[in-house]
Amino acid sequence: MDHRTDALNPAAIRIRHLSVSFANRPVLRDLSLDIPAGGLTFLLGRSGSGKTTLLRAINRLNECLPGCATCGQIELQLGATRLDAYAPSTPVEELRRRAGMVFQSPNVLPLSIARNLSLPLAVTLGLGAAECEARTEQALREVHLWNEVKNRLGAPAATLSGGQQQRLCLARTLALRPDILLLDEPTASLDFKAARQIEELLAELKLRYTLLVVSHSLSQAHRLADQVFVLHDGQRIEALPESTFRDKEALMSALDELV
Amino acid sequence: MPRGNITPSLLLFATLVSALSVLAIFGFLLWFAAPVFTGETLSSLLSWQWRPQQGEFGILPMLAGSLCLAGSAMLLAYPLGLGLCCFMHGLGPTWAARPLLGIVRGMTSVPTVVYGLVSAFLLIPLIRAGFSGSGFSWLAAGLTLAMLILPTIVLILDSQFRTIHAQTQLTAAALGFTPAQQVLRLTLPLSTRGLLVAAALGFGRAIGDTLIPLMLAGNAPLLPHSPLDPLRTLTSHIALVVATDSQSAAYGSLFACGVILFMVSLLVNLALRRLRHE
Amino acid sequence: MSKPVPPEKLAQAGAWLAALGVPAILLALLGFLLWRGVPGLSLALFFADTPPLAALRGAPVFDGLWPACLGTLALVALATAIAVPLGVASGIYLAEYATGRAKALLAFAIDLLAGIPSILMGLFGFALILFLRRTVAPDANTGLLLSALCLAVLVLPYVIGTTRLALENLPLQLRLTGASLGLSPGRTVRHLLLPAALPGIFSGVMLAVGRAAEDTAVILMTGVVANAGAPASLTGKYEALPFHIYYLAAEHQSPAELTQAFAAALVLLALTGLMFLAARVLQTRLERQWTTEPTP
Repeated sequence: MDHRTDALNPAAIRIRHLSVSFANRPVLRDLSLDIPAGGLTFLLGRSGSGKTTLLRAINRLNECLPGCATCGQIELQLGATRLDAYAPSTPVEELRRRAGMVFQSPNVLPLSIARNLSLPLAVTLGLGAAECEARTEQALREVHLWNEVKNRLGAPAATLSGGQQQRLCLARTLALRPDILLLDEPTASLDFKAARQIEELLAELKLRYTLLVVSHSLSQAHRLADQVFVLHDGQRIEALPESTFRDKEALMSALDELV
Repeated sequence: MPRGNITPSLLLFATLVSALSVLAIFGFLLWFAAPVFTGETLSSLLSWQWRPQQGEFGILPMLAGSLCLAGSAMLLAYPLGLGLCCFMHGLGPTWAARPLLGIVRGMTSVPTVVYGLVSAFLLIPLIRAGFSGSGFSWLAAGLTLAMLILPTIVLILDSQFRTIHAQTQLTAAALGFTPAQQVLRLTLPLSTRGLLVAAALGFGRAIGDTLIPLMLAGNAPLLPHSPLDPLRTLTSHIALVVATDSQSAAYGSLFACGVILFMVSLLVNLALRRLRHE
Repeated sequence: MSKPVPPEKLAQAGAWLAALGVPAILLALLGFLLWRGVPGLSLALFFADTPPLAALRGAPVFDGLWPACLGTLALVALATAIAVPLGVASGIYLAEYATGRAKALLAFAIDLLAGIPSILMGLFGFALILFLRRTVAPDANTGLLLSALCLAVLVLPYVIGTTRLALENLPLQLRLTGASLGLSPGRTVRHLLLPAALPGIFSGVMLAVGRAAEDTAVILMTGVVANAGAPASLTGKYEALPFHIYYLAAEHQSPAELTQAFAAALVLLALTGLMFLAARVLQTRLERQWTTEPTP
């Protein structure tokens, strides 16, 4: 199964002339970018280059932070509908639900394991208890967490290990049935083994979802990416040809030049 | 001893003086109340009749008055405070939160006597016109006291909401919660401790206030049967007995009221301590 | 069949009601106060028939607010003179030196003190006089110094609390800097931490001044009277602004006296409001000092 960008299959995320500033300090300047539908797209860049801000511009999460100003255009293909993210009529909550996000450090809510999944389902989708339970189990199985937690669903989510918490967050996002997944350095705060587990999950998920992953790990991009972009200082974005990021040596030397 | 060095022992001494002042207050109250806690005077104290001329010093009406007034003020102020906090944290427009919090903070600086004065000449005539009687009543004092304790409740709830909100806001937003859903389904349920602390402190503040009941509640030492009846609280009882300077036999009951009030604040503080250490 | 109103809409309506109602009530309160009080604001409010300059030099003032203002001023000055050194020292001790069970116990005592109704501070003062009469001083009586002492106990927790908080909220780095420069803990406190915490401590003092100026219950029990003239001695009776308002509200003989009460309330509100604003300004300055600009 392979969906690449072509005339019949438009970009899942289409960014045009995006600029974002915080307290009048520009972070992103006039960026344009197409993220293809399906598969796993990596966004590489140095820390401070504005990767996270770019990711959060897509689900309009920057607006929750003080002093943020955004201009430009972002279009998302969510299922059959095409959505202009910043149009005044856009339901921002639906946008955020359907472009699900996983954060850099596991951000479990201070609730039980089961409640972390069922509360958003009940609140944002208005699902009943039985449906919530079914979707919770399904999502936990999808991230291979079900067998580890099925006997302690009522325990506080904070009692899980870091890797388990991150998989719980992934499951929580998947339970809402998003069309696009935005992942912000999903393995950065994890140890090697837990990071590998997440990576394996990403490899499975990219067959079913459009994934956009922000990272600074070259080797991860090398192993997983279908497409790689590099962001420079918030103002220049560059696509790496497949031949470059498939070859580890070439990737290294290319990035040395670029960054 | 090198100069410019702060001597810890001097600081310890100051701290002991500060801490011991609580004990001193309690000690004095207990010392002067002790005679009435023995034998016959105790049963006279625990009666519903306050007729010092006939030697009857019952303080139960005042105890009931204090509980009625503080309870009703809480009943008014607590939902109001909760509504304000929810408004500031998601149910209202974002721009309104800061000015509203500023107003509530400013309320803490309004002198009690100013509330009392304005109510006596604005609220009392309204009650008198709307119903009958003098207007000096449980209702007038309860309404005014609610305004007085509102900032205590709001400021505690607000700081608790703020903490929870900071922890959960980005996550909840990314999951597609509306601001209203965030505050009602997440922040509020997670703020149980703050809700209890606000209730305890608000109640303590309500039962300890003297001037509002003294100026507005009519001060009859009787159990009120309707919100339009007058009542007398423990606090205003103390102020009234000292002011009228009646015979010294009445003083015993005065200190008994003092001990009860002290016990209430002790209980409130013990409850708060439990809440903070949970 | 009518659809039930969703709870979220109900909560929203309640919140709007509270958010509009509380400011509306306050506006009505303030409007009423201004309407009744502003006509009474004039020099005559303070000095009545006495020429202001003569009054400032000590000529007696009858019917004016001046003696009550002087009384409140004396009261606040004495109370802060007692409470501030004691409170700041206690705050420093609790923040920097106390540990373990002793700290918990002392902090609990201070919390308890903060929760005690002000009328009990007054009753304490009253009991103190009764005690003195029965023991060493048969003709002891309530007066200015006693009131100031009780008010000092009342505002003590404010000073202790803000001092402690201002010190404990300082960044750890400042402490480490002191230690890395080879300063003893005492010197770190004195030369690094205290100067940094000073705005916070001052804000506590302002709050204490405002509270001491507005409290009525304490002085009601410990020596304030309606007509005493300017305070003459530490043990004598005196007048004070909040009591003056309370007294006129109940005992006014003429509409003019009532207008004076409202005008006096405006003066008192301006005073406590000013203290509150000063405290806020100092607190925000302290907060700004240690927060760097937000980074995205």
